[in-house]
Amino acid sequence: MKALSTIRLALMIFTVSSTGSSLAAEAWNIPHEKAVVLKGRVVDALCQLKGRCAPDCGAGKRQLGLLLTDGTFRLVAKSNIDFAGSIPDLIGFCGKEIEADGLLIENPAITLFFVQGIRTDAAGSFVPAERFKAEWETQHGKAEEWWRADPEANRIIAADGPLGIKGMAPKPKP
Amino acid sequence: MPAKQRWNAKSGLFHSDGCNCMTIMSHWQAMALAAALSALPLASAAAQDGRRVTVTGEISDTWCTVSGLMFAKGTAHHQCAVWCALGGIPVSIRDAKGELYLILKIGDDEDSAANPRIARMATHEVAVDGELLERDGVKYLLVDRIADDKGVITMTHEEYGIQPFGN
Repeated sequence: MKALSTIRLALMIFTVSSTGSSLAAEAWNIPHEKAVVLKGRVVDALCQLKGRCAPDCGAGKRQLGLLLTDGTFRLVAKSNIDFAGSIPDLIGFCGKEIEADGLLIENPAITLFFVQGIRTDAAGSFVPAERFKAEWETQHGKAEEWWRADPEANRIIAADGPLGIKGMAPKPKP
Repeated sequence: MPAKQRWNAKSGLFHSDGCNCMTIMSHWQAMALAAALSALPLASAAAQDGRRVTVTGEISDTWCTVSGLMFAKGTAHHQCAVWCALGGIPVSIRDAKGELYLILKIGDDEDSAANPRIARMATHEVAVDGELLERDGVKYLLVDRIADDKGVITMTHEEYGIQPFGN
């Protein structure tokens, strides 16, 4: 009877944790991807790895990651916004514990986390990791494709060309 | 004259400058210092010393390289890599073996996110000296100096067009 209760308890725990995992992110079919929910503290990578810390995790100018309870450090490289990272989504949680729903990509060359949603309350909903676009539009105005409207990107591409070599232009489309 | 407390991003510490005489901090100065310190994240106990390395390879957009969603090399990918770097996606150096070294600083510049200086080097072939730190499946590179920058030398646009949209 006691053994049965133990098995039942184990099954309940498994069910609860499975339910948590089922919240995990949309698949992108990227090689080595795995949908996971990471729980950890938002930290600045340079501070975490080298002890070179800056106020407010670098105030948005440094790469950020999650320090998991087992001591693993996961760099968070990408958000839901095209061509954009996750720093605007994470920076407000510097030093705080969060849950991040996304894809862990364990490529042999590098392991990265692609965050799709964030929450601070385990019972709450994940907030889509899309702050980059809102912040960019606050600064630069509305744009369908932020990357083509970004003044800094356009300065660099105007100076060096879209191929990165001054004076070299792609052939016009037939 | 009380010494001024100054944050040094390099050392990660507050340093005193001004006179080198012994001072007693006022109550308010002590409170201000405590408040400033509490705003800083604690330096990691896992902070490590890496090893000195020279890495040669292409400045790469880490996400496009790993995702395989587009051809992330050379001229074909330059524009996309500029966008991604300015969007704050981590930038790496990819060596000839396909290893990725994620850049966390260059010289005194510790801005590793959306840094126009790094974006301007997108898809350049470089050789850098620095410190390599490895943790949990990632090779992090603290670049001390760029020993060589050949610019963009890998011609891929004829075959692949401009990634990812062809313009």
